[in-house]
Amino acid sequence: MPTRRILMACCLVMPFARAAHAQSPEQALAFVNQTAKQLVGIINGPGSPEQKRAQLQEVIDRAVAVDQVAQFCLGRFWHTATPQQRQEYLDLFHRVLLNSIGGHMGEYHGVSFAVGRAMPGDGGGIAVTSTINRPGQPTANFTWVIGNEGGSPKVIDLIVEGTSLRITQRSDYASYLARNSNNVQALLDAMRRQLAAAG
Amino acid sequence: MRFRTARAPLLATVVLGATLAGCATPPPASDPEALADYRETNDPLEPTNRVFYAIANGIDSVVLRPLAVGYRYGVPEGMRDHVHNVLANLNGPVLLANDMMQGKPRRAGDTLMRFVINSTVGLGGIFDPASGWGYPSHSTDFGVTLGVWGVGEGPFLYLPILGPSNPRDLGGLGADVAIDPFTWFGQGAAVRNLGYVRYGMTAVDTRTALLGDLDKIKAQALDPYATFRSLYRQHRESQINAVKADTRATTPDWFTAQPTH
Repeated sequence: MPTRRILMACCLVMPFARAAHAQSPEQALAFVNQTAKQLVGIINGPGSPEQKRAQLQEVIDRAVAVDQVAQFCLGRFWHTATPQQRQEYLDLFHRVLLNSIGGHMGEYHGVSFAVGRAMPGDGGGIAVTSTINRPGQPTANFTWVIGNEGGSPKVIDLIVEGTSLRITQRSDYASYLARNSNNVQALLDAMRRQLAAAG
Repeated sequence: MRFRTARAPLLATVVLGATLAGCATPPPASDPEALADYRETNDPLEPTNRVFYAIANGIDSVVLRPLAVGYRYGVPEGMRDHVHNVLANLNGPVLLANDMMQGKPRRAGDTLMRFVINSTVGLGGIFDPASGWGYPSHSTDFGVTLGVWGVGEGPFLYLPILGPSNPRDLGGLGADVAIDPFTWFGQGAAVRNLGYVRYGMTAVDTRTALLGDLDKIKAQALDPYATFRSLYRQHRESQINAVKADTRATTPDWFTAQPTH
């Protein structure tokens, strides 16, 4: 009986599991090309910093699986957080992400992207390589990891010169929590303070 | 002599006590997720490392960072590039030895051609014509060589002056100094002082290149120490993987492009 139940559960889950991988490298490449073009358009385009921030928010919401990344970054503490803390955390994470990307847009003025090739990445995603050129700066290697959320491709990680942004963020949060008696509320307060300091 | 033997157990107790006090306590086995986190971080000396990080960070804020800011402000970019090129060129022999020990002839070839071209046409490395002639620069060291050979990193270390490291990379650094011909070349006060100038300039050059990034990390991370630890370990692993993945053939493109029948 338990075996049958497991089998049935597998049958129910399998189509979804497959859907998560049902993405071709070509689709991922096209998606990165399109997203990179939008980002470069915003960074190099006209408009006040506030307008650019609003445009950036739109692209992030559409192209990045923010909730999924946020959950990954909280790691095992996602399970210990109360529903209210989870919601608060997700809200704060959205703002932190926008701040950390939007806060440095000025430094990237004149940027150009060259999208490379797609290959299977870690965790079932597709890794798309790209290089960033900035005037007067050495070329930087950027890898986008594209997953699938609700049937459409979404960014689940960025790997800059071999370092994964989500793994780095996860270890930052984990360490902060370990030093604050694993108290999720302390992390939320710290994130709020950090946002206030950034203005 | 008797005095020494009498004191030895006491000394051993003090040293052992100090070392144990500097060790992190692993989480209990009843909390497997916390234990997995602890193992993944691979930082059993965390309390000691954090003390060194705090000291290094303090010294950096009052000495190295202001120096780097002054250097960037006072010296034109073109001049800083020349300084960087000279320092990179001086590292050529060590780079070549490591490329060869890693068994990567194409990388070794790039390094050799860069050293020859930049030392001559590039006027002692002031200019970098080799990059434009198809010999791109790369960096590596004996820590990476050991990693390519399969040596594990060992526990994370944060060292005074040297910063983030681990036993493998620390040993690698010693080996790099030992295989550097400039370590053994010449003698006398003038040569020794030039050596110090080189190490000092390398520190300022490296710190200047990292100005924006380090400021950003310190401003955005909730726990900068943990963030540096994660970045360092990921970056080293990616450097080792990049060397392993470099399987370019040593035969020129035009040769392999010929029909094989």
